Amino acid sequence: MTPPPAMSVAETLHPAAEPADTGGSKINRDILRVMEGVSLGYFGLLAIVVLVVAWAASLWALQVYEGLGLAGYSVPIFWGVYIVTFVFWIGIAHAGTLISAILYLFRAKWRNSINRSAEAMTVFAVLTAAQFLGIHVGRLWKAYFILPYPNQRGLWVNFKSPLMWDTFAISTYATISVIFLYVGLIPDLAVARDRATGWRKLLYTALALGWQGTTRQWKSHSRSVLHLSGLATPLVLSVHSVVSWDFAMTVVPGWHATIFAPYFVAGAIFSGMAMVITVMVPVRRIYHLETYITAYHFDNMAKFLLLTSWIVSYSYITEYFVAWYSGVEAEQSAFWLRAFGPYWISTWVMITCNAIIPQILWFKKLRTHVPTLFVVATFVNIGMWFERYVIIISGLSREYDPAVWGVYTPSWVELSILAGGFAFFAMLFIIFLKIFPVIAITEVKELAIHERAHAAEEAH
Amino acid sequence: MPSLLAVFDKPGSVAEVAHRLKNRGYGDLEVYSPAAFPELDDIVDAGPSRVRVWTLVGGLLGAVTGYALTIWMANDWQLMIGGKPFSSIPPYTVIAFELTILFGGLLTLLGLLVVAKLPSGGFGKLSKAYSARFSAEEFGLVVGCKERDVLEVDALLRDYDAKEVTLVEA
Amino acid sequence: MAEIDRRDFLKLIGAGAGAAAAAGCSDRVEKLIPYVVQPEVISPGVPLYYASTCRECPAACGLHVKTLDGRPVKLEGNPQHPINRGALCARGQTAIGRTYHPDRFRGPMLRNGSDQLEPISWETGIELLSLEIAKAPDKAHVLGGDPGDTAGKLIDRFVRAVGAAGRTVYEPFASEALRAATGNVFGVNSEPWFDLTDADLVVDFGNEILDTGLSPVEHQRQLAQARDIATHPGGGARFVYVGPRLSQTASNSDEWLAARPGSEGILALGLARVAIESGGGTEQHRALLDGVLAGADVDTVAEKTDLPAETIVRLGRALANAGKPVAVPPGVAVSSRRAIAATAAVLILNDVIGAVGDSVRIPPENESRRRASYRDVLALVNAIEDGRVGVLLVHDCNPVYSLPKASGFEAALAEVPFVVSFASMVDETAERAHLVLPDHTPLESWGDLVPRDGLRCLIQPTIRPLYDTRALGDTLLDTARAMGEEMASKLPSGSFRTLLEEAWSDTDLTAALARGGEFSQPVAAPVALAEGAARLEVVEPVFSGEGDFALLPFPHSFLYDGRGANLPWLQEIPDPVVKVTWEPWAEISLETAERLGLEFGEVVTIETSAGRIEVPVHPRGGIRDDVVAVPIGQGHSAGRYASRAGDGRAGEARGANVIEILPAGVDESGGRAWLIEKARLHKTGRHQRLPLLQFSDNKRGRQLGEAIALADLAAAEQGEQEGRLEAGHHGSHEIREEFQASADAAVGILYRWGMTVDLDRCTGCTACVAACYVENNIPVVGEEEIRRVRPMSWLRIERYIGDGEPELVTGRNHPTRNREELGDVDVRHSPMMCQQCGSAPCEPVCPVFATYHSEEGLNGMVYNRCIGTRYCAANCPYKVRRFNFFDNALTKWPEPMRLGLNPDVTVRAQGVMEKCTFCIQRIQAARQIAKAEGRPIRDGEIVMACQQACPTQAIQFGNLRDPNSAIVKNANQPKRAYHALQMVNTRPAVTYLAKVVRDPVEG
Repeated sequence: MTPPPAMSVAETLHPAAEPADTGGSKINRDILRVMEGVSLGYFGLLAIVVLVVAWAASLWALQVYEGLGLAGYSVPIFWGVYIVTFVFWIGIAHAGTLISAILYLFRAKWRNSINRSAEAMTVFAVLTAAQFLGIHVGRLWKAYFILPYPNQRGLWVNFKSPLMWDTFAISTYATISVIFLYVGLIPDLAVARDRATGWRKLLYTALALGWQGTTRQWKSHSRSVLHLSGLATPLVLSVHSVVSWDFAMTVVPGWHATIFAPYFVAGAIFSGMAMVITVMVPVRRIYHLETYITAYHFDNMAKFLLLTSWIVSYSYITEYFVAWYSGVEAEQSAFWLRAFGPYWISTWVMITCNAIIPQILWFKKLRTHVPTLFVVATFVNIGMWFERYVIIISGLSREYDPAVWGVYTPSWVELSILAGGFAFFAMLFIIFLKIFPVIAITEVKELAIHERAHAAEEAH
Repeated sequence: MPSLLAVFDKPGSVAEVAHRLKNRGYGDLEVYSPAAFPELDDIVDAGPSRVRVWTLVGGLLGAVTGYALTIWMANDWQLMIGGKPFSSIPPYTVIAFELTILFGGLLTLLGLLVVAKLPSGGFGKLSKAYSARFSAEEFGLVVGCKERDVLEVDALLRDYDAKEVTLVEA
Repeated sequence: MAEIDRRDFLKLIGAGAGAAAAAGCSDRVEKLIPYVVQPEVISPGVPLYYASTCRECPAACGLHVKTLDGRPVKLEGNPQHPINRGALCARGQTAIGRTYHPDRFRGPMLRNGSDQLEPISWETGIELLSLEIAKAPDKAHVLGGDPGDTAGKLIDRFVRAVGAAGRTVYEPFASEALRAATGNVFGVNSEPWFDLTDADLVVDFGNEILDTGLSPVEHQRQLAQARDIATHPGGGARFVYVGPRLSQTASNSDEWLAARPGSEGILALGLARVAIESGGGTEQHRALLDGVLAGADVDTVAEKTDLPAETIVRLGRALANAGKPVAVPPGVAVSSRRAIAATAAVLILNDVIGAVGDSVRIPPENESRRRASYRDVLALVNAIEDGRVGVLLVHDCNPVYSLPKASGFEAALAEVPFVVSFASMVDETAERAHLVLPDHTPLESWGDLVPRDGLRCLIQPTIRPLYDTRALGDTLLDTARAMGEEMASKLPSGSFRTLLEEAWSDTDLTAALARGGEFSQPVAAPVALAEGAARLEVVEPVFSGEGDFALLPFPHSFLYDGRGANLPWLQEIPDPVVKVTWEPWAEISLETAERLGLEFGEVVTIETSAGRIEVPVHPRGGIRDDVVAVPIGQGHSAGRYASRAGDGRAGEARGANVIEILPAGVDESGGRAWLIEKARLHKTGRHQRLPLLQFSDNKRGRQLGEAIALADLAAAEQGEQEGRLEAGHHGSHEIREEFQASADAAVGILYRWGMTVDLDRCTGCTACVAACYVENNIPVVGEEEIRRVRPMSWLRIERYIGDGEPELVTGRNHPTRNREELGDVDVRHSPMMCQQCGSAPCEPVCPVFATYHSEEGLNGMVYNRCIGTRYCAANCPYKVRRFNFFDNALTKWPEPMRLGLNPDVTVRAQGVMEKCTFCIQRIQAARQIAKAEGRPIRDGEIVMACQQACPTQAIQFGNLRDPNSAIVKNANQPKRAYHALQMVNTRPAVTYLAKVVRDPVEG
């Protein structure tokens, strides 16, 4: 066969055959337009993040070769920025599943216009987080020991170790998130397929699995989504609980606390939601998606922020209360030093960003004022990173034996790799924008068509 | 054997006409819809979707695997760890739980593919009746019927304000 | 599309396989070469022990050199040796490093035109030396430390034979004052020695007897014996320390009298007077009252010593009433220009309290062991300046470093036409030599020592010389022979070894070699106060220079007179008192710091009449306000570790050398004086982060370094729980129900290995740490890594002051020595190693089973399995796990240091965790023997490296499942036994025995 005539992506997305311009097809166009052409700005941004990723990657390579001494570790602080960042990204990864799964079960329809990007973020955040485990270990080239594979040593792995739970929880979470994202994508890919040509046609055709939107397909599709939500909901709660147990299972003063699981989960949703806002605000602005992501959505996300902010604040208070009430000197000292010791700055940054600043969201005006919300969300992101920093570093630096108390300062290598993490996440998301519909077309459409039907009936 | 394609705007009318057609004995139906609409669910195959079975099986399989794996491995080479029993259930429950979810999820996906017959139409080659408009905003109802019934079905479809009715194949 | 045919496919497979194979070969390959002819005694892997003698200080402890496959790998104390009885201090432990030191001369060297040392042959070297001497024999001069008995005699014969100008023996810390004072007081010119074995009151006038003093290992053992709580329910000997700073010795005292520096003599007289007045002493002593003791009335003494009169009276009476008291004369740090008088005063006190002839033994006069006279060295300098020295032969000493600039030696040395050094390793003096004829290291040489009457110690080679070196004796003999027939005839034929054999011909040398020498009960001459004694005049020391502070240079616990500075371990092991490594520091009081606005690590300029140095300050509570104390031993400008050469900054000194700002102070006898100079402090405003390894000395009331008052201990049994409480288990919530430590091993196994650490015996001398380093191939990571607080030591000594209390610290934590108080001792030295917990927090958290619980209750560590998550370290409440942040195994063992590694212990790769596993290699060795003999391992058969080194036997190791084992008996002291951080309930295998706080002596 002869190849199709060369056409711009824009053209491929608007075949002349397109019927009259009404709801459904408008939605298609609006959302598919996001994937159209690439501006200079887009390239610029992509170039920057790719450079940062490359820089961080080379430093990681150097660290693997030279040894972890390049990081700022010092006895007794054996865990540093890498674990902090790992926990941070795992937290970020929670918004997606929360919005897609839990809100789905709660039939919160407003999720429809943000769930796709949230799910994508989940996948990317998990990928980023997973890397930081690799960056953290001392012998990356032996890291596969952590997998329970049959080996000539006849030795298995230690399922009593919270790190083992991590391994399972995170790989499960990654898999489920990908499945969730993909299943959701299939109908949208069909939409794209029907309107694309060239390599995109091939790609979408392959990925859409020949979806035709027959009722049989739709029926099992919504069924699967329901089931996946049912599975993902306990999963999302378990993953950060497991991560929190990395700390709660130890004897370290300031870590060994039963509140950790709910505390971390709330924190995760808090930071995840903040990250969704941080990412969606610019995307909405740049690609003119105001009609799909409205003040209404932001209002709801802001309420979520406020709620989780309160849960987190409550956890802070509880931690200090329990430390005082326990009567254990080590605990008390640990918490006193957390607030007034070497890490007092981090601690107060954390409290300001997570407990105080979000309070302005009590006012609907501010909740729906996008710039304000963006700023608040950014602060929350910072605050939540510092929360993990405070818990991990201050915990380790002030343990039982005062003779080996120490102080930790991150090295430039660690900070570069930290930046690399953010860049990596951004890179994946930016690329995603151009290849997949950033808003769940069919789900939005479902609403639109319903509304149209209603309108029609009222017209009668 | 010919089949007719009718195009609709509202899922409601599709549901009604489909109901009517079935009553008239025209069982060979296929519906294309741009989004999921509960009212269309039962037109082609009634009754609950069989995906649920897959999920359930997956979940159970995962749970069993989880416990079996951990307990067997811990006892295959017994190592004393922090004075804890070799088969300590609480920590292994975490593994079992995660595997429950994992297997559940994987089999749900598999279930979806099997039940919804995906990948269908050998990718690129979609069924004749299907067209891009159905991934936009319109609904398509394909009715298979005998030569002599074509006119009747056509009329019937038009009664339920089908935007257009075409003969897909003679 | 690309076609891949069979051919390409096979190529690819081949490439793949090749790559895989290459990857497999990436690890370094060690060639194993079997013996062609198996030596009779050597069987690979089975250690051979040779008895020898330690050369690190004049005390001359006996060694057992453990050799494996012909290489010494570990130095241990010789149990038969009367001085150290099997123990060995940190300096002795690490002396092995001299043999495998990268700085060693590979052979003779000659300074060439471009002022570089270049290798030459021995023939040339000997030839040159003989010619130079022949030029003007009377202008040849020998300067050196103590080369040993026979070698010393040989040198004298050589000097006489060639008609050289003379020989000067030089020891920086020679005890000339003691020798001279004994002469003045008892009319016998010899060095007394002090036996504390069954003393009941020891008053130490500023001699670091447990650290760098006369015979540290011996005195630590004796004192521990005299204070052993098990055999002395009353607490045994009381130990009173007099001195300006809370030194390591002082920290083990029951009472610390922070007398004004230099006032020791006056205090001694004051005490003597009180003692006599309260009925002590004899008629003859009363005569002293209007003689030497005339001016020493309590008030005067109190005023001069800056001590409360009440204390002096109390202590004086106590001395008079004590059954077996002994007073130890001043040591190096406080030896002033009036050192002889001060020492004499203490000897008189000893006589008054009846210690002389009993605890204080005075051997008959013996000129041969007259060590050195500082005055002679200064005379030599003059001789050089007058051009009366043409050839200077320097051996066994490093005068360029250890002599003050003011002595003019360094300048003079440059004047000497031909300087020959016999050093085996680079040092400041060798660097300035024209000809270097390297001597063997002690582990490679023959030799003998006579540290005191009745002791003849042997040194025997334990390895074939690594390099082209030659024994000093042989070099001299060869030189003489090279100088011609008649010269040769004046000296013995044959080698130095034959000479030694002749010297020992009167005994069975083989037996002596096996024993380590000849040990007989020393004879003590009966002595009485000489005429001079009464007329002795004791006045306060004279300080030169101005300033508010007396400059107190004190011997560094490990570097000693600086000879230890090039041994990496001694640089890295934290100082027992301030826990600083790799750098010198200046101790000032908190009050002084306050007044001058100085904070920790701030660099000050110390200015004296002789010069100025810059040192970071270490403010602490345990030092007088009018003193600034700086350790002797740092500030070398040569040596891989002693200077900064190892960091690629050759020639740059490692910190400041306090000796440089001392005037050439001489005491009345011509001996060397140290406490002679006033100093000024100037703020520089610069800060230096000291490589420090313990930040806080406040244990915040936690279960570490516990202590119990003697009264509570003596009190009738009040039930364990209460006893435990008193033993410092604060807060009832921390009390867990008793557990059986022996339970935490597999069922049906004979052993659960355990340890007891007796804090009442531990002096914090740190010998165990050094032993651990050497035994377990622990890398020395260097100053920068220590500054980043990444030590690798598996064992550390924690130093706490009192029980401490939870203080609400704010801001970044500063090192706090601020719990110390002047004149108050409550120091807890607490060795901390892996506790081999029964319910170890580190085990469950490791995802890959890299650490697990062995059947015999050890907390095993599998290096190969470790992936470096560092979770175990994070979860270890004792923080005894160490992580290889870099590839220490490859980078920290420069050639030929690797030869000294213990082959029974693997070196650890980059990125793995490591820690103490109770010297598991020693357990296995014992198991093999027991297995061969078909019996269980006996109690005491296994000796840990740390236990072996411990001079006071504070560390005991054994089987918790054997009810009769020593440690089970030990641990069965409900009131003293406790487990570190019991509140965490880790069920440790290590049981600590709380230190016993003894009430001060009563008058």
